[in-house]
Amino acid sequence: MAIRVTFWGVRGSIPTPGPTTVKYGGNTACLELRFGAEERLIIIDAGSGIRELGGAILAKDLKRGPIDTKIFLTHTHWDHIMGFPFFTPIYIKNTKLEVFGPVSYEEDSLDSVVGGQLQYKYFPVTVGQLEADIHYSRLRETEMDLDGGVKVTTKYLNHPITVLGYKFEYQGKVFCTAYDHEPFSNIFDVSPDNPSYNEEAVREGALAAKEENDKVEAFFSGADLLVHDSQYTQKEYMKDKKGWGHSSFEWAIVSANRARVKHLVLFHHEPMRSDDELEKVYCDLIKKLKVKKVTMKVSLAQEGTSIEV
Amino acid sequence: MNDKAKTIAVIKNYISKMPSLPIAWSKIQEISKNPKATPADLNQVISLDPVLMGRVMKLINSAYYGLNSQITSLVRAIIMLGVNTVKNLALSTAVLGGLSSKSNFQALNNDGFWRHSLCVGVAAKLIATKRRKDPKQLEEYFVCGLLHDIGKIPLNNKLSAEYVQALSLTDKEHLPLYITEERTMDVNHCEVGRLIVNNWNLGPAMEDVVFFHHFFDSYPGENRDVLLTVAAANYFANSFQIGFSGDRYPEPLPAAVYEELKITRDDFDEVESKVNGEIEKAKIFLQVARQ
Repeated sequence: MAIRVTFWGVRGSIPTPGPTTVKYGGNTACLELRFGAEERLIIIDAGSGIRELGGAILAKDLKRGPIDTKIFLTHTHWDHIMGFPFFTPIYIKNTKLEVFGPVSYEEDSLDSVVGGQLQYKYFPVTVGQLEADIHYSRLRETEMDLDGGVKVTTKYLNHPITVLGYKFEYQGKVFCTAYDHEPFSNIFDVSPDNPSYNEEAVREGALAAKEENDKVEAFFSGADLLVHDSQYTQKEYMKDKKGWGHSSFEWAIVSANRARVKHLVLFHHEPMRSDDELEKVYCDLIKKLKVKKVTMKVSLAQEGTSIEV
Repeated sequence: MNDKAKTIAVIKNYISKMPSLPIAWSKIQEISKNPKATPADLNQVISLDPVLMGRVMKLINSAYYGLNSQITSLVRAIIMLGVNTVKNLALSTAVLGGLSSKSNFQALNNDGFWRHSLCVGVAAKLIATKRRKDPKQLEEYFVCGLLHDIGKIPLNNKLSAEYVQALSLTDKEHLPLYITEERTMDVNHCEVGRLIVNNWNLGPAMEDVVFFHHFFDSYPGENRDVLLTVAAANYFANSFQIGFSGDRYPEPLPAAVYEELKITRDDFDEVESKVNGEIEKAKIFLQVARQ
């Protein structure tokens, strides 16, 4: 095993506990990455799933010494940071934590956006009372060497706020995230009857959208494992979800397959979708893929499960 | 600190939070509230306000995004930034106050300035189209024309009394405005415009157009085509008195510029009817919210 990915939260937008989401899980985004035989820990996102991950880390890692890890946030929408105050290692002395992520163009610091959840009006413990040594670093599109042979590359995606996709490379294996993300589209392609119709904008918009989608596919091209946004069905997306910042199952599959991804994991499940409904959508898609002889492996992200590459 | 340095410091401070023109404000609000409004509407309203246009271009080209190449197309900027971010940016940009209050008296009024800016943008694009420039470059000609006088906004609003003096001096002595600006304030709108372009990181072509549009004889650089086109469009707007940007006595466009662009004065007559049509269309678009 080079990289093991464990899903602690797979749900989009808001936690959805209850009998209809028991199988795939109701916690919001949190992924645990383990690298190599040393099982070096890196975390992606601090949605509600990070609470249980915190408990698992205390049980497994603390006995080997103080916790020293990094959290990479895809963005600062609430469902991706809401679990942070419940991540127990931040209350433990000698924990060393580096939090990376993009901030919005308004330039509020990551410290104030994420750590700002720990303030008197929201939470009984304030930032100043935390025992852990926490550093925040804002990220742009970049490449970073994380030592020990782990490299991370980031890519801007398409969402109503700045979002980064992550690509981790280790021992020749590639793991990528592409959520929260909606395909770039030519949003200027309105009817010629529309008073705002502009022929040049339609042409430029088509070119820009194609180029931006190509860049995203180049980013996860050939990945061994890709976790991609698939909140909606294509029908739902086309009906009234364009511009909401999420992809359809169909787009995730087409895009990943075109980029020769080996294993696609469908992620960020719609909060309204029950386990049964999710499985029905998935089964229908798999049937179609078989007909089309698509060999790429496609799975549904399921809380509590792991995938190794 | 000498007088000029003090003036520059005041202007730099103003640039950091420069307001947009009120002309686009109600339309931006309408678009934000109306679920049926399209990104094409957003593109159109931003492309009609030099400050909003500048702010969006500033954001996409800022260190915040750290992109490798200069983005000069608003359409591309909106696709890359996302409609939500652009709306948020537009709504959070302050708006220039109205002219109703006497204490707020200014030399240039918003409507006249807006008409002039839009006229130069549209005329520059029409001239470039006539000269069969690459369609991909047309938007750059428009944006450069729209923003060429952006330096007048801080002067008009921050040094209002001096700007009134500069304008009366142009009337009294029949001088171009940039000369009377220098006499009354030590700086001209080209220098101020360059401060804005640099602050907003709008790229070398825009910088050259803004800084050299009254000094193109001495221009040494590679953006000569767009610069001369905007200079010609500016002369057209001033001499045909479409909108008002303070230049009642512009320097005539040298014959060499007509020759280099391969246009004649007759071409301006053709441009005039199209420009007026575009401005009226824009006016109707922007006033929908107020009806």
